[in-house]
Formats: sequence, C-alpha cells, structure tokens
Amino acid sequence: MPERRVILKNCGVIDPRRMETFLNNDGFKALTKALNEMTPDSVIETIKASGLRGRGGAGFPCGLKWELARKAPGDEKFVICNADEGEVGTFKDRYILENDPFSLIEGIAIAAYALGARQAYIYLRAEYHYLLELLTKAIAQTKEGGFLEHVDIQIREGAGAYVCGEESALMDSIEGKRGEVRYRPPFPPTQGLWEKPTVINNVETMMNIPQIVLNGADWFNQIGTDRSKGTKVFSVAGDVDRPGVYELEMGSQLKELVVDLAQAKKVKMLQIGGATGKIIPHTMMDTPLSFETILGAGAITVLDESRNIVDAVYHTMEFLAEESCGKCAPCREGTEALFGIMEKFNRGEGTERDIRHLEDLANAMMPSSLCGLGQAAPIPVVDSLQHFRSEYEDRIKQKQGGAAK
Amino acid sequence: MSKVKLTINGTQVSGREGMTILEVAQENGIDIPTLCYSPDLRPIGACRICVVEVEGSRLLVGSCHTPIAPEMVIQTHSPRVLEARKVILELLFGSHCGSCMLCNKANVCNLRSIAADLEVGLPRFQLRKRFHPIEDVSPYVQRDLTKCVLCWRCIRACQEIAKQSVYATGYRGFDSKVIVDCDVPLDKEVCRDCGICITYCPTGALTRPTKLGKEKPGKSLVITK
Amino acid sequence: MDKSPEEIPFHNRDQQNVLVMLEEAQYEAGCVSEARIAEVAESLDVSQSEVYGVATFYSFLSVKPLGRNVIRVCKSLPCYLKNSRMIIESIAAELGIKPGETTPDMKFSFELTNCIGGCDKAPAMLINSDVHGDLTPEKIAQILKSYD
Repeated sequence: MPERRVILKNCGVIDPRRMETFLNNDGFKALTKALNEMTPDSVIETIKASGLRGRGGAGFPCGLKWELARKAPGDEKFVICNADEGEVGTFKDRYILENDPFSLIEGIAIAAYALGARQAYIYLRAEYHYLLELLTKAIAQTKEGGFLEHVDIQIREGAGAYVCGEESALMDSIEGKRGEVRYRPPFPPTQGLWEKPTVINNVETMMNIPQIVLNGADWFNQIGTDRSKGTKVFSVAGDVDRPGVYELEMGSQLKELVVDLAQAKKVKMLQIGGATGKIIPHTMMDTPLSFETILGAGAITVLDESRNIVDAVYHTMEFLAEESCGKCAPCREGTEALFGIMEKFNRGEGTERDIRHLEDLANAMMPSSLCGLGQAAPIPVVDSLQHFRSEYEDRIKQKQGGAAK
Repeated sequence: MSKVKLTINGTQVSGREGMTILEVAQENGIDIPTLCYSPDLRPIGACRICVVEVEGSRLLVGSCHTPIAPEMVIQTHSPRVLEARKVILELLFGSHCGSCMLCNKANVCNLRSIAADLEVGLPRFQLRKRFHPIEDVSPYVQRDLTKCVLCWRCIRACQEIAKQSVYATGYRGFDSKVIVDCDVPLDKEVCRDCGICITYCPTGALTRPTKLGKEKPGKSLVITK
Repeated sequence: MDKSPEEIPFHNRDQQNVLVMLEEAQYEAGCVSEARIAEVAESLDVSQSEVYGVATFYSFLSVKPLGRNVIRVCKSLPCYLKNSRMIIESIAAELGIKPGETTPDMKFSFELTNCIGGCDKAPAMLINSDVHGDLTPEKIAQILKSYD
C-alpha cells in the first residue's frame, strides 16, 4: 500500500503561521459542525463508532476514554494533549506541530466540547521549545477567529524528562511537581489532573478527531484492519536512505514502510516503538503494522548488517536507566542493574550467569513495576535474547578465547 | 458500606467496599510483606514488595493501593509473586550498604525481616552502592542515607503526621535521594520533640543521635517553615 | 488518624507555577540558583526541599551555573548510529572541554542529552533552543562560531 495522507493532509500544504490557509483547506469545519450540529454525546458516539484507538502506544479506545470522563462526576474537567514525544527515534509529532498546529487545536477543541472541559493543556517537551512560538501564535489566531469560545488552551512546557510522556507523570508535571508516576486505579478519566476527570490524548490521536467528525465514523471505519482503524504516522530513522515521517494505512507491511518508502538496505534488525519497543529481526519484515501485531508509538529505528545488537541494547538500557523516575523500586534499581550487566557485555566481560540475571530481572520487573517504563524496560533485552542470543554468546566466547580470537 | 466477596488463596473472604486488597488480607490473617506501606500514611505503591496476582490481570498489582472488587481472585504467595518480591529485595540489597552487623536497627529492621521471610540471602545482582556521609548535625535526628531504601515513608510521615515538610525527593532514577532544602545536611529546629520520621523509617537510615552523656545543646526555639 | 482529603490540603494549585517559574529562571539566568529556589518556595507556599526536588528532577534545569550557550548533543540510538560520537569528540576538541563541563569564559556548556526528536537529521544537537541536524565534524566550528 502506498502512503495515504489523511491526518497529514495539510502538512506542506498550508502555512502553519497563517490561519486563513488552514481555513481554505476545510479548517475548523469539523469543529463548527460539532458545535452547531452535534451534541457532546453524539460526538463521543461518533468517535466510539469510528474505532479510533490512542496513538501514544497503548491503543486504548479513544471514544471510551472520553465517555468515561464525560460520565465521571464533577463540573471541572480537563483535556490534555500529550506533546511530550520522548520515545527514542520518534519525531512525527514534531512534524505535525511544525506543519499543521491548527488541526491539532481543532481536535483539542472538539474534545473539550465533548467532555465539557473549559480548560485544556498542551504539554510540550522542552526539546521542542523552538515550537512554542508557532503554537502560541496558532492558538492566538484561532481564538481571534472565534473558534475557542468554549475552551481555553494553554501550553505547559516540560523540562527534560522522558517519563513525563507517561500520562500520570505528565499530570504531576503540569501540577508543577516532579514527573513521578501514580498508581492506578484511579485512572485519569475519573481522577486525573488535580484529581479531576481528565482525558489525555497523544498529538496524533487528536489529529484524527477533526477528520472523523467531518467525514463520519463509517468512512474512518473502512480504513485499516479489523481492530486497528485509520492510518498511522511513522517516524523512520537509523540505517535508511530516506529517514522521515510516513503515513500509512493500518495493516501495511513493515517492509513497505522500511524498504519501499524509507529505502533501507541490508536490514539486520528493527526497533519498533523506541527504547521500550520490540526488537525484531529482518526476517519478520512482512509483519503487518497494527495494534494486533506490532506498532508502539510509530518509531522505527533500522539497523543494518554492520551493526552489533549488544551495542544497540546497551545504548537503549543506558537511556532507560537515566530516564527512570526513581519512584518504584523494581524500575529504579532494575534499570540500573540491567544497564550494569549490558555494560559488562559491552566490555566483553559478560558471562552465562549474566544472561540468566538479565532474564530474572526481566521476569520480575515486567509484571511488578509501577508504570509502563519499568514494565517495558526489559523488552529490548528479552527480544534481543530471543532473536539474537548468539551475539551475546559470541561475546562470552570471545572472552573465554582471549586475545587469540 | 456494602460487602464485597472475593477469593484470596482459594478461600472465600469478604471485605467492605473501598478497602484495599492488603487490608482485607490482613483482616483474614494473610501476611503480605510491605515496605513503603504504613496504615497511617497515604499509600504510594513505590516499593512493589506487596504485589499480588489477580486473576485476569496481566500485571501483578500493588495490594496496598488496589481496591477490592467483587469476585476478585487473588494469589498472595504464588511462585510468580514470590519471585518478583525476591528480585526486588535482592535489588534493594544490591545497592544497600549491607553493614547489618554494625547497624543498631538490625534486629528490628523491616528490610531484614522481609528478607528472612523470603529466604533472600546474598543478592544475585551487583549494583552501585549509594554512599552518603552520615548526617549528624541535628541534635534530634541522625541520617545515614547509605542505609536508605527509598521507601519515602519519612517524607510522608513528616508531611501527613508531623504537618511539616522538611523532606522531599530529590534527583532522579537511581540517584534519587531524600533531601532537605537544597540538599543540605538535616538541621532543623522543627525536628525538636518530633522524631516521627524515625519511627517510620524501616531501616537504620534515621535514628536518634546517640551522644550519650553529652547531649548536643539544642538551639533556642525559632519557628520557621 | 484522620486522612480525609479535607484534612490535608493536597492540592495547592499555585504549586503548578513551581515548574513554570523554574523554567523561566533557567531560560533567563542559565540556572536555578538557591536564592531563586528560596524565592519560588516562599511565593508559592511550597517547601524549599520540594522545589529543589523539582529542580533536580528535570534534565533541562540546572542548579549549577551553565554557560551562556548550552550545547546538548543527542546520544540516543538513532544519532549514535549516525556517528554522534564523532560530533561529541569534535565539539570537545573545539571547546577544549568534556561533556558535563563549561568553558572557563562561561560561553558554552557542553552536555549530552537523550533523544531530541531530530532523528531524521541525525546526528543532531540543540544549542539553546535551536536544532542543528545532519552534523559532520567539519560543520562544528562554523556552527559554534555563530554563537559568538
């Protein structure tokens, strides 16, 4: 399947600094339709019927999330757009923010209407501080255009913490605190920001909203697979000739994206979904990309035959150990321990026992950690041991063989 | 409050709505080890020692903060649960100073008693040790953070019971630490006649200064925040 | 023990400004000084410990003075694959300092950072808030010169 631009349709077409160019491309038609022709409940019904699932990685049904928050008791509700794109190898949200901030604002405004939220936040990562001005101006223009009378949208900036992409840590960060995760339940739709009902959606998820409202749930439903509707935006980087952002129908094959579009050659392995994502060998490139199979947040890092897997996993574990928030014991101590062992392998000092320890740590951390970071942190280790165990064993043999080898 | 029926370790038990799994287990004489939990403090679910298996859940759940639900089927001592607890404890011991022979708290140390129950001996995992100098400036509380297992109980006890906020969490990840002000040695007059944090410390990290016979002179009482 | 939410003022909403004010301080002064931390704590009725805890949690906030320009080279996997190590070495050679250090004239601080979302133009770095991508060792001197 070739590229299909649904939510990126305005990117490169409109001028992100001028709202009129957006208006000329059906801009704010969906919002106007929602406000004038639909009740909040019918907006939620439409999103539910569309089958849209969250694009941040977990794939929770979006309409259901909204419904839970709408039905939660309380007058004060919040909408948060998660623009803390911190996953290693992903830059699609940056591309969206750079090129089409208005569609994002439109999506947020529709969400706020559906929920009855008068306050919305965009949580922008510190690394994207250079986008603050563009976004602020886009919000100001939208407000001047009279499209934001029902909701106030504010931008909150992160300050350099990967874990703040995790929704509960993100809310703590907006509250001005350390971005530490919270236990669940309660979940954000019932008790989120300041313990008020809150919907948190990723940038890409929000971008789908105007399209669904405008074109209808049935239209959206026809795109994609059984349980993964719509398109997905991918960031492809690493050993490819054409790194970049690509939008494909859900269910497209990995090789269409990586080989046909991004022009990867002699692929050895792919890391799908960033630092906590799956590691798969090139032999699995005919896997379709969907929630049923493999997806993550859409970050794909390609490694070619010249690369060493242990080295790549070592770097990934360094990242995770640095970014653990430190609140819960298995993640705080476990990521450090995993990194320590990978460091040993990288120095050529790993042993058979270390492989067992990696597995023991993984088995305990994955079910017991407080949030997705600690739960998913061992995945690179587990997957690489599954598909590339020989590379670990080679390092051990090299050590035993000494310098002669 | 309505009754909730559930199964723990194959036995039908009941609890009241709003209770946590841990509370119901304790009421029924089932012992789940805990480290960061205290019945007097808000739960934070940080140490993960109290995790249990709930049928239908992919993950183990923290029993100290998860409310019971009708028809829940819970295993508190399944092999999977015990292995997770062991690994977590071994990790905590891996970065702990391990000077139990010299520690005043040794016989009443929560960490040691949980380790004994779980038959955890020498830890499998090698970690960096967290070395911090002993803080003995305050005449009221002595801190030896080398023994701290980051359960965050002192922070909550100080806030919620003593109604002060002497402590907070500082830094991130493995480097996290319980700090005072801009990470200076503890020396606060509000700690006079308090010592609540000492009571809640599960290890020997917080103790009363033992300067027998020549108690450090207290400063004159100044009310500060 | 009464733990009802009414009893403990759990949500001081002014606290949301802690991070906002610390960010302002960082952008203005290049660091979050202890004096500034005390000010923030005082004005928002939050303890100094808590404010310091926030300041040391986030990697873009620094409690130590940084140079007028902060270089943050991405060291995550996609940039690593595209030889970020050579970029790190050439910046170190150009400035005569190692990552984590500041030049004696306080002009540059040199740090390594995690993924900055510039993987399509790897290797990439941030100088202050500007992204520089598709870096080669040859480009470094020129780029650094533009921050004179």
